[in-house]
Amino acid sequence: MGAIASIEQLGKYREQIKANVKEDLPTVLICFGTGCQANGARNVAEAFTKIIKDQGLNLDVNIGLKTTGCHGYCENGPLVALRPQGILYLKVKPDDVSEIVEKTIKAGEVVDRLIYKDKQTEKTIAKYREIPFYKHQQRIALRNIGNIDPTNIDDYILQGGYAGLAKVLKMEPDAIISEVEKSGLRGRGGGGFPTGVKWRSCKAVPSDTRYVICNGDEGDPGAFMDRSIMEGDPHAVIEGMIIGAIAVGAHQGYIYVRDEYPLAVKNLAIAIKSAREKGFLGKNILGSSFAFDIKISRGGGAFVCGESSALMRSVEGKVGEPRAKYIRSVEKGLYDEPTVLNNVETWANVPEIIVKGADWYASLGTKGSKGTKVFSLVGKVNNTGLVEVPMGISIRKLVEEIGGGVLSGKRFKAVQTGGPSGGCIPERLSDLPIDFDSLTDAGSMMGSGGIIVMDEETCMVDVAKYFIGFLVGESCGKCTPCRDGLRRMLDVLIEITEGRGKETDVAVLEELCDVLTWGALCGLGTSAANPVLSTIKYFREEYDAHINDKQCPAGVCKALITYSIDAEACTGCTLCAKKCPQKCITGERKKTHVIDTEQCIKCGVCKDVCNFNAVRVA
Amino acid sequence: MEKLKVIIDGRECEAIKDQCVLDVARENGIPIPALCYNPEVKTSGGSCRVCLVEAHQGGWMRLVTSCNYPVRKGLEIKTNTDLVHKIRRGVLELLRARVPDSDVIKKLALEEGITEPRFKKDEGEDNRYKCIACALCAQVCEEVVGVSAISMQNRGADKQPGTPYHKPSNVCIGCGACVYVCPTNAISMKETGDIRRIWSRDFKMAKCSMCSKPYIPEAQIDWIVKTTGKARAFFDKCPDHR
Repeated sequence: MGAIASIEQLGKYREQIKANVKEDLPTVLICFGTGCQANGARNVAEAFTKIIKDQGLNLDVNIGLKTTGCHGYCENGPLVALRPQGILYLKVKPDDVSEIVEKTIKAGEVVDRLIYKDKQTEKTIAKYREIPFYKHQQRIALRNIGNIDPTNIDDYILQGGYAGLAKVLKMEPDAIISEVEKSGLRGRGGGGFPTGVKWRSCKAVPSDTRYVICNGDEGDPGAFMDRSIMEGDPHAVIEGMIIGAIAVGAHQGYIYVRDEYPLAVKNLAIAIKSAREKGFLGKNILGSSFAFDIKISRGGGAFVCGESSALMRSVEGKVGEPRAKYIRSVEKGLYDEPTVLNNVETWANVPEIIVKGADWYASLGTKGSKGTKVFSLVGKVNNTGLVEVPMGISIRKLVEEIGGGVLSGKRFKAVQTGGPSGGCIPERLSDLPIDFDSLTDAGSMMGSGGIIVMDEETCMVDVAKYFIGFLVGESCGKCTPCRDGLRRMLDVLIEITEGRGKETDVAVLEELCDVLTWGALCGLGTSAANPVLSTIKYFREEYDAHINDKQCPAGVCKALITYSIDAEACTGCTLCAKKCPQKCITGERKKTHVIDTEQCIKCGVCKDVCNFNAVRVA
Repeated sequence: MEKLKVIIDGRECEAIKDQCVLDVARENGIPIPALCYNPEVKTSGGSCRVCLVEAHQGGWMRLVTSCNYPVRKGLEIKTNTDLVHKIRRGVLELLRARVPDSDVIKKLALEEGITEPRFKKDEGEDNRYKCIACALCAQVCEEVVGVSAISMQNRGADKQPGTPYHKPSNVCIGCGACVYVCPTNAISMKETGDIRRIWSRDFKMAKCSMCSKPYIPEAQIDWIVKTTGKARAFFDKCPDHR
C-alpha cells in the first residue's frame, strides 16, 4: 500500500490492521534491545524460529513472534515475554526455548526456573506487571516499547500511532502550542525548560525558515533512556517532531544521534523511510498542504555535542563547540534560523499529550514537574535498568521498591543523579521527591535521568574524582574555566585521594567551583562543579578524613588503605592465598593467614573471595 | 539601527541594539580587560572569560562576557564588583599557570593581585606555553583572511591552533594576521632576508621598489589579486612609499 492520503484513510487503515490481528494468538516477544542482543537474544530468536518450523507450526497462525525494543530490565536479559499470559522469562537461553513452547505456549504452564525471583524474599513472580521492577512504573514515553516491533510501522499504527498527528492537522498551530504549554511538559534532556514556551518563542520570531531538532546525543555514563526510545519506538519520536514542526512552522527536522548507537541509527532510518512511504513525512502529509521531512545527523562521539549550540554546529558540519547563548537558539539556532531543539524523550511524550489531552498529562507528577520521567537506575542496586515513573516519586521508593534495595544487603549511602555534572544526594535526604526543582535545590540536577545508587563501600571523594576526570576528558577546551579549571580540580582531588591532601584543598576546590559555575561558557562547564560541591556539602567528613587523617573511610582509595586478615575470623581455608595475584598471602592450612603488605597491590580479591569475612580494610 | 540606553557602572551610555557591552564600555572610557576579542573579527570572543561583568536584567543577575553580550533594553552592567574581580582572579590564576611564559598574562594577573598561581605551572619549550587557546588566530584566518590555514585542534587542555597534521599548509599565504591578533604573542613569525617563516613554512617576500625592503609575502599578493581583482602593480611599493 502507498501513502495514506487523508486522516479518514488513516483510521480505516488502522481498522484494517486490527482486523488481521488475532487477539488470542500466543505471541512470543523477544527483547532486541542492545543489552539483550549482547546477551544472546538473537540466538534465542533463531531457536524459536527453528522450533516453529520444525514442528510444522505456522507463524502468525499458530504462534506469533516479535522482536521488540528494550524492556528495561537489562541485567536479566535476554528477556522473553509471552502474550496473552503476560509472563516474563528472564535470562533465556536457546536451550530453554523448546520447554517454553511445550509448556507455556502449548499447555499454558509456567517454566518456574525462568521467572523472576526476589533476591531477598525468594518469592517468585511470573506475571510481567506484578514484578516490583514493573509494578510501580507508569509508561508514557516508553508506552509501546516491548510491545511492538520497532521496524514495523503497522505495529505503531495499531497502538494508536499517528493519531496525534491526525488530530493536530485539524488544529491551529497556536492551539497545539497551548496544549503542550498546558500539559506542563518540561525538557527531558536535563534543562527542564517548558517545552510549550520554547515552541511559542520560536514561532514568534519572524522567519521563512525554521527547524526542529531531536537531541539523541545521549552521553551520560550509564544513561540509556533515549537509546531505548530511538531503538524501541522510533515512530513516537518522529510523530512528536512532526507535531512540533506543524506547531512552529518548520519544514525540515534533524535527529542528531550518536554514532555509538548503531541500532538506534538503523531503526530510526527504517522508521523514517516507512513514515515517508505511508505519507507521514514528505509533501502533503496525510493529504494536507503541510510538508516536513527528517534527516539523521550522526554524532562523532563528543560529549559536549549534547549541548544544544554545539550540537547545531555539529549538524552544520562544523566542530562541535558551544557558543554563548545570549541570543537563544529559538531566535538564531541552526544555520542562524529559529530552531526548536528537544530531547528524544520530550518528543516521544508529545503525541500522547495530544491524544490524551493536556489535562490528563498535567494530572501526573508534581506542581512544577508534570508527567513521568524515565530513569536509568544503575549502580549498587538489585534491579538495574530503565524505569518510567511519575515525577515526584521519592528516591527511597525508587531505590528500595523498584530497585529492590541495595546489593548484598549493604547500607544505602547516596544516589548520584543527573549524569557527570549532577550531584550526590545522601541517604538521609532520600525521601526527597524526584523532580526538576527539588533535585536542583539539593545541589544536584535531574539531568537526563541517570540514577546511580551508591553503598557504604563507595568513597565520595573518589566519586567526585571520577566524574571530574570524565569531564576533563570531555571538555571542548574553548573557555578557560572548563579547560583549565577542571584539570586543576582533578589534580587537587588526586592529591587528596593519594594521601597528599593539604588543609587548604577544600577551599581551593570551592574557589575553582565558583570560577566554573559563574565563569564557564556553556552548561557543561557551569554545572561541572556539582559533583565536587555536592560531595563537599554532604560528605565533608570524608574529605577531612582523607586530608587530615590520611584515611579513606569507605576503604576505596588505595594509597590510604591496608588489607589485613583478622586472626579470629580466619579459618585457614587457603582460598585467599590461592586467588591472590601477587602471591603475597601466606599461611598453613587451618591456620591464620597473613598478608605481606609490602607486596600487596590492594586489588581486593582476597576480600571478595573470603567466605568468613576475615579480610579487613583500614 | 535601534538606539537605546544602557547603564554601565551607574552611567547612562548610548548604544545600538545588539552592540556588545565591551564596545559600548570602551566608547565611554570604561575599561574592561579582554584578551580573545577583536572588534574586526565577528566570530571572536567568549573564550578567555577575562572580560566578565555583571549583567542585571529583568530582575536577575549573571556574569556574562562583555565582548559578546548584546545590549538590549533595560540592561544594567556592573564592571567593578567583588564577584567580577573574584571570578576574573580565578580565570587569570588558571591562565597564569597555563602560560607561565606570557608577560601579558603576568601583567593582567598582577593587576588582580596574583603574583604566583597556586597550581603547578605547565612546563615546556614551544609556543604552547604562551597560547591561551582563545582561537582568535583561527578565526581571523577563516573570517577575515578567508583561507582557513589554521584551525583549533584537539580538545580540553590540549586544545591549540595549528595547521592540519602540523604540516606546512599549502593554503597559508604567510600574511601573519594570526600573529598580529594574538593577544599573548604566542605565534612565532621570523624574517631572515627576504624569507618569512611562519607555521613551519617559508614564504618569499616581495620587495618595495623604492626602499628594497621585503614587506609582503608573494603568496599574499597572489591571494589579494585573486580575491579582490586589485592590480598587481599596486604591490610594487610598500605602504610607506605608495
